[in-house]
Amino acid sequence: MNYKNYKKLTRLALIAICLVVATAHSDVVVVVPADSPVSALSKKQVAKIFLGKSRRFPDGSRAVPVNQSESTALRNEFYFLVSGKSPAQVKAHWSKMIFTGRGQPPKEVGTDSAVKQQLAVSKSNIGYIDRGAVDASVKILAIQ
Amino acid sequence: MPDELAPKGMKPQAKDPTPQPLKRGPWHTITEPQLFFPAALIATLILLWLVTLNLIEADQLKAQEHASNSTTELSQTYEAQVVRAIREIDQSLNVVKRAYELGGDKPMLTLVDDWGLLLPDFLFVTSVSDAQGKIINSTRAFKNKTIADKEIFRGQLNSDQLLSGRPWQDPYTKEWKLSFSRRINTAEGNFAGIAMTSVDASYFVSGYEIRQLGQLGVLALLGSDGIFRVRRTGEAVFSGESVDYAQLLPDIDEFEDDPAATLMTNSWDGIKRYTMATKLYEFPLAVVLGLSQEEQLQQHLQLKRLYLQRSAVASVSIMAITFILWRLSWQLQLSRRRAMEEQVAHAQQVEHLAYHDGLTGLPNRSFFSQLVNHGIAEAKRYDRRFALLFLDLDRFKIINDTLGHDAGDDLLKEVARRLTECLRETDTVARLGGDEFVVLLPEMNDEKQLNEVGEKILHAVGKPFHLAGQELRVTVSIGISAYPMDGEDEQTLLKNADIAMYHAKQRGKNNFCFYSEELSANSLERLALESSLRLALDRNEFLLHYQEKHDLRSGEITGAEALLRWQHPDLGLVQPLQFLPLAEESGLIISIGKWVIESACKQVISWQEQGLPPRRISVNLTFRQFTDTHLLEDLARILQTTGVDPSQIELEITESLLLSNFQNALETLGKIKDLGLRIAIDNFGTSYTSLSTLDKFKFDTLKIDGSVIRDIANEPADQQLTEAIISVGRTMAETIVAEGVETQTQAEFLLASSCDEVQGFYYDKPGPIKPG
Repeated sequence: MNYKNYKKLTRLALIAICLVVATAHSDVVVVVPADSPVSALSKKQVAKIFLGKSRRFPDGSRAVPVNQSESTALRNEFYFLVSGKSPAQVKAHWSKMIFTGRGQPPKEVGTDSAVKQQLAVSKSNIGYIDRGAVDASVKILAIQ
Repeated sequence: MPDELAPKGMKPQAKDPTPQPLKRGPWHTITEPQLFFPAALIATLILLWLVTLNLIEADQLKAQEHASNSTTELSQTYEAQVVRAIREIDQSLNVVKRAYELGGDKPMLTLVDDWGLLLPDFLFVTSVSDAQGKIINSTRAFKNKTIADKEIFRGQLNSDQLLSGRPWQDPYTKEWKLSFSRRINTAEGNFAGIAMTSVDASYFVSGYEIRQLGQLGVLALLGSDGIFRVRRTGEAVFSGESVDYAQLLPDIDEFEDDPAATLMTNSWDGIKRYTMATKLYEFPLAVVLGLSQEEQLQQHLQLKRLYLQRSAVASVSIMAITFILWRLSWQLQLSRRRAMEEQVAHAQQVEHLAYHDGLTGLPNRSFFSQLVNHGIAEAKRYDRRFALLFLDLDRFKIINDTLGHDAGDDLLKEVARRLTECLRETDTVARLGGDEFVVLLPEMNDEKQLNEVGEKILHAVGKPFHLAGQELRVTVSIGISAYPMDGEDEQTLLKNADIAMYHAKQRGKNNFCFYSEELSANSLERLALESSLRLALDRNEFLLHYQEKHDLRSGEITGAEALLRWQHPDLGLVQPLQFLPLAEESGLIISIGKWVIESACKQVISWQEQGLPPRRISVNLTFRQFTDTHLLEDLARILQTTGVDPSQIELEITESLLLSNFQNALETLGKIKDLGLRIAIDNFGTSYTSLSTLDKFKFDTLKIDGSVIRDIANEPADQQLTEAIISVGRTMAETIVAEGVETQTQAEFLLASSCDEVQGFYYDKPGPIKPG
C-alpha cells in the first residue's frame, strides 16, 4: 500500500475512532490473566503478538493471543490502536500469513466474557476487552 | 649555386626559384595535423562507442537473464504455496467429510472447529450440505440455503475428489470467492452431500510482493478451463476473465527439466512480461507468474541512459580537446611555416643582394655569368644562336669626376632603367661594374635585328639626362658578339664584345660595332701595348724631347716645351699619339705625368747648374691629370723635392679642359697659380671657346695653335684672324706664343703682329736635350 493511501485511511480511521469513543465511551484495554508475570508491553509488541509475528513475551515466555470475533467493534478498534491497520488490512495480512504458511490467526472467542474465560485457561494467554469488563481475574497491561 | 635558389627577378631562361614541396608517402600524410587529429578523433569515438554499446548490450543480457531467472524462481515458490494452500483446504474438507461420514446426522462441524481442524473462519467459510444440496451446517449463517445447482455440488454426484468451481461474486460484499468441495458418502457409499469451503479469491494472490513482482507483475491462478480464478497486478485483483489456455500453456514436453520464462505480451492486459505458467500436478489448475519487462529492465534502462549520457559527454569533451589540440597544432604549424617563409624570404633577399647590383638592381656579373652559361647550354642543345652586347658609357668618368659620384650613380640608374625599358622582357641587362653594362639577347641571330637593337639603345641612352640640375647628354659605345660564331664560352664572348666595344669607341664613340677577327688582331696589339705601357715607367723607357721657344725680337731661346717619347725595346720610338690615348684612358697618365713634371724640373735645375740663362720648361697637362684630385699635392711635393723655382715651370692646358666644368677648372687653376707655377693655354683658336669666359682668368701664356697660322701667307682672312686672336690674347695673358711656325713668312708676320714668342720647326725640331 502506498503512503498516500495509508495517510488517507489513517485519517478516516481516526475520525471513525473519535466517533466511536464519543458515542459508546468504549475503551479497549489489553489484559492478561491476573497471575501473569507480564505487566507492561509496548504497543508494537502487542501488535506483533496479535499479527502473528511474535509468539513470545519480552521475557521469553510463550504468548498466545486470544481474539474477539470478527464481528465485534472492539476488535477493529484494538487492531487499529495497536497496529494502525484497518479491518481489511488485518484480513489481508492474515490472508498472506496463512497463504504463505507463516502462521495461523489467534483463536477467536466471542465476547469480553469469553475472552476472560479463555484467559483463565493459561498464563500464556493475552487478550483485549472493554475497560468496563475488567475484573479481578485479569490484569490490565500497561501499554507503553 | 643550385638553380632552385635563383634570385628574384630572374629572367625566364632560369628555372623557377620556388622550392618544390617534397613528395611524401601516405604515412606521412596521416601524421599531418589536418589529418591526424580528425583520424584520431574518429578512431577514439568509434572505440568509445563500441565499448559503450558493448557494455549496454552485456548489461541488457544480464538484466534479461536475471528477469527470466527471477520469474522462474518466483513461479516455483508460488506454485509450492498454491499447492500447499489447496492441500490445506483439501485436508480440512476431508476432515469434515470423514466427521460427517462417521458421525451421521450430527452437526459435526462445530466439533471439528473445536478441534481446531477448520480453516480460520474469518477467511474461510466452511459449510456442509445434504444430498439435496441444502446447507445443513455452516460456520456462517447460511443454513437452509440450497446449492443444488452449483458446479461444486453437482460435480460431486459422480466423483470423489476435490473440486473447485469458477469464481463467483458475493452479492453483498461484491468480493470474488472461490469454493472447493468434497463428497460426503453414506455408510453404503452413496452420496450424502458435500463439504465445501469458500474463500476470497484474493487469498491465492495475497503472496504478491511488490518488492519482488513490482507494480506491473502478475500473479494468477488459472483454471484448465481457461478462466482466471484470480489474477493480481500490483494492488488490483481480478477474477473470471478468460484467456487462451493453450497459448499460455502449450502442450510442451512434460519431461523437460528446466521450464523457462518466456517474454510475451500478456493478452489480458497487454503488458509485456517475462511470463511463466505452470500446470499443477494434482489439480486442474495452473499458476501464472509474470515480471514486467519494463520494470525489470528499468534499472538496465537507467544504466543504459547513464552510459549513453556519459559517452555523449565524453565524446563532446574528446571533440573539444581534439579541436583545441588541432587548433594549437595548426597554429604551431602556421608559425613554423611563417618562420620558414621568413627564412626563405631572407635567403631570397640575400640571394638577390648576392646576384644583383646594389645600385641599379640589375643582375651583377656573377648572375649574368650564370645566365650566359645557361644560355650557352640552351643554345647548344637547341642549336640556337644568341648575342651579347657590351656597353660602355662615353665620357662617364668626366661626369663622375665633375658632377660628383651621386650624379654619376643617378646617371647609371637612369641608364639601367632606359636599357631595361627599351629591351624585350626576355632580354637581360646586367651591370658588370663602373659604367659597363652587358645585354644578353637570347634567340637573336639576325644582324639586321641586332642593328635595330643597337640603334634603339643608342637612341635611348642618347636622350638628354637631367642630373644635378643640369641637362647633359651621354653616349654609349656598344660591342656585339654572337654565339657561337664569336665564341663558345662566356669569357670569349665577353672579351670579344669588349673588343668590339673598344673598336666602336675608336670609331668615334656613340655607335656600335660587331666583333670580327680583325678587330681581335688590333685589340691584341692594343692589349700588348697597354701591358708594356704599364711596365714602361719601371723600365725607364720614357724620355723627354724638348722644342725650344724663341723670343721673336731678340731671337734668344726663352724656354722649351717638354714632349714625351717612349723608347720601346721592340717597337723603337713610339709616338705620343700611339700611346697617350691609351695612357689617358687607363689612368696610367697620372704616374707618367708625374714623371714628366719631375723630369722637367730636374732639367731646369740641371740647366741652372750648367750656368745657362734661365730657361722655362712647359709641360702639357691632359684632362685626366687636370681633374685628378691629387694633382695639387703631387705638384707641391715635386716642387719641394726638386727645389726648382716654380716660375720656371709652365703647365699647358687645352681650352677644352675648361669646358666641362668651368667653375671647378677655375678653382684648380687658381690653386696651381698659388703654387707659383705658370699656366699656359694651349691650342688656342681651335675650339669655339667663349672668349668672354676666358677673361675671367689671367693666364701667363697663350699659345696660338699651329693650324691658325699655317696659311697666313696666302689667306688674308687668316692673317686678320691671327691678329684678332693676338689682340684678344693680350687681354688674357702676358705672353703670346705661336706654335708650329715653319716658315720665315710666318715668323715675319707674327713679329709684325706683335706676337712675343715662337716655337716650331722653323726654329727647332723637338729632340733630346742639346747641350747649351
